[in-house]
Amino acid sequence: MSALRAEARTALAIARKDAVAELRGRHATVSTLFFSAVVLLLFGFALGPDSARLAAAAPGLLWLAVVFAGLLAVNRLHLLETDDGALEQLALYPVSRRAIYAGKALGGLAVMLVLGLVVLGAVGILFAVDVASAWLPLLATVVLGAVGIAAVGTFYAGVTVRLRAREVMLPLLMLPVLAPLLLAAVKATAAALAGDPFGELGAWLQLLVAFDVIMIVAGAATYGYLLED
Amino acid sequence: MKTRILGFVALAAVAAMTAIALFVVPADLNQGDAQRIMYPHVASAWLAYLSFGVTAVSGILWLWKRDLRWDALAVSGAEIGVMFTAFAIWGGMMWGRPVWGVYWQWEDPRLTTTALLLALYVGYLLFRRLTDDPERRATRAAIVGIVAAVDIPIVHFSVEWWRGLHQTATIASPDRVLNPAAPMIFVGTLLGMLGAFTLAWGYLMIRRYQLARAELAREEAVRIGRLEAVRRGVVRSEATR
Amino acid sequence: MPQTTIYVSPRSLGAPDQRPPSVATTDLARLFAGSPALAGVSLRVDAARTIALLGSNGAGKTTLLRLLATAIRPSYGRGEVDGLDLDRDVALVRERVAYLSHATGLYDDLTARENLRFAAAMLGTPDAEARVERALADVALVARAGDRVRDFSAGMRKRLALGRILLGRPSLVLLDEPYAALDADGMAIVDQLLAAWREAGVTILIASHATDRLAPYLDGTVVLERGVVAAVSGVGVASLPVGPAGATTRVAEATR
Repeated sequence: MSALRAEARTALAIARKDAVAELRGRHATVSTLFFSAVVLLLFGFALGPDSARLAAAAPGLLWLAVVFAGLLAVNRLHLLETDDGALEQLALYPVSRRAIYAGKALGGLAVMLVLGLVVLGAVGILFAVDVASAWLPLLATVVLGAVGIAAVGTFYAGVTVRLRAREVMLPLLMLPVLAPLLLAAVKATAAALAGDPFGELGAWLQLLVAFDVIMIVAGAATYGYLLED
Repeated sequence: MKTRILGFVALAAVAAMTAIALFVVPADLNQGDAQRIMYPHVASAWLAYLSFGVTAVSGILWLWKRDLRWDALAVSGAEIGVMFTAFAIWGGMMWGRPVWGVYWQWEDPRLTTTALLLALYVGYLLFRRLTDDPERRATRAAIVGIVAAVDIPIVHFSVEWWRGLHQTATIASPDRVLNPAAPMIFVGTLLGMLGAFTLAWGYLMIRRYQLARAELAREEAVRIGRLEAVRRGVVRSEATR
Repeated sequence: MPQTTIYVSPRSLGAPDQRPPSVATTDLARLFAGSPALAGVSLRVDAARTIALLGSNGAGKTTLLRLLATAIRPSYGRGEVDGLDLDRDVALVRERVAYLSHATGLYDDLTARENLRFAAAMLGTPDAEARVERALADVALVARAGDRVRDFSAGMRKRLALGRILLGRPSLVLLDEPYAALDADGMAIVDQLLAAWREAGVTILIASHATDRLAPYLDGTVVLERGVVAAVSGVGVASLPVGPAGATTRVAEATR
């Protein structure tokens, strides 16, 4: 049990380090939030001005904005480790690889949660959708979606951080894998907003949970290998 | 030369099954002649999934055994798999046009899953190209392949449910040909096509693997040669590659 | 001069001749993109010895150190640190090896103190806060401890990286050009560290050109040339003949 506690401490130390560096250095989180807002605006211009159509499309637009902004967010967290060989040094510490993954993913999760909630609110305003009425299932969906994107994104950001063509490889690899999460999250959001007329909300949330669990396990198991050189 | 025999047998089997599918088997009552393309389409799809499984498992074995032959098998599976995946999608679209009236139907789970499979494969192959060092490439490719493979079952379920959790399939679906209640001649033709395609797949995999092994052996010889040269203290200019 | 207190790994205690060799490699080789950086090194370094690694640029000094630090995996051959295999016992090796590389591995946006505290958390240093303060004092960075590393000079970063090593419990210390970028005071700190490690029975492997400065601390030297051992001198280090390269082919080897 103390081994698990040690891993948790390691993960928290890494997450804390990332938080301090992010808040202090690059203001990336704020930029990412503004980026998501810009994306939503563009969606409005592309699909509007018919507000009925936008309201119907709102769940999809919400999650597209979150996923695209999420790409930027997870990338930034690993960019931290390009400081003068920091990633190689991190790999040399006698800590479990799973704990390193967990630490990076926790940082990613924090950012994704903030992002998800902000976008949810923005969508409510911009596309005239009543998010307050179904706030609990919507919150659950946002949390589960954020976990999934953080789990997958941390892994792929780690895999691509040392590559050339990293800007295109990260989305190219990550987006197909996120397709089921996108699908399920949009369906769950739509169901929640409509009051769950077919009783399918539970099934979609379960799918999200399954996705999250599987991806966390896969990411934790394989992250250590990308630290090798 | 057993491989060459396999190649001829596979070619003959595919030709025979194609002839049967085109001329011997009766056309479907509802879908007409368009339904015939389902035989190679379903067979290709099955082999696409099998190839990806080979790639993923080979990746695991590389990480475990650190023998580059496993990576050779992984890349073979991916490349052959892309072929079969692309063909499966093309077949699905060719079927869709006369039957659905459109090339693409988002509600068809197999088509969308296969499209995602293609995206995952192509991403894997492009990703491989970014690393020159064989061991690093093998390790990175292995983990990307494993995570992608783990995603496939989730994709399958999500797209199935996407079609409608409480609705029965209202559109004509290629799944009809897999219906166990279908007449024996349909099922038999499908299985025969599957067998023929699997033989072809096996042949292509072996050939691609042999190519990869030959490449490995050549690289290995160059590496050993350079190590030897340095150890003997011979001055040598690096050959441009 | 501030007193340097080095916390020694318990594994360092005990008579040096009763410990396994700190470093033992067999035909160790590493290629990058087909080109040998290390072409076959069979070396033995005894415990508690200080050995200099000499050779011109590109001779393989950094590659050898990185292999022993487990930063990279060997292409061929095997290596052992304190009797632990570099491949199979990676986690155990990392617990007892400290490595100072060219890159400092420090986070620009964190302060010196925060960098060391993070390292202490990763290393599992007991009594971390006090140890961090002592390490900062030992490398003479207390005055700048609250400043971000982004504003540090190369010499200060190097000293901070040395401070990080003090937070661990190594039995083997690998130094890649420790004197580079340091001023006279910085170099004096390195000298003090070398003396303290030697006294504590820690094995030191230094890649450096500064043989004159190192002379009082050295037990032996290894000269590398184009990836192989060209010469060995002194005590505590030995080079064995390297087997034929073909005997260790990746494909032929059944077990790795």
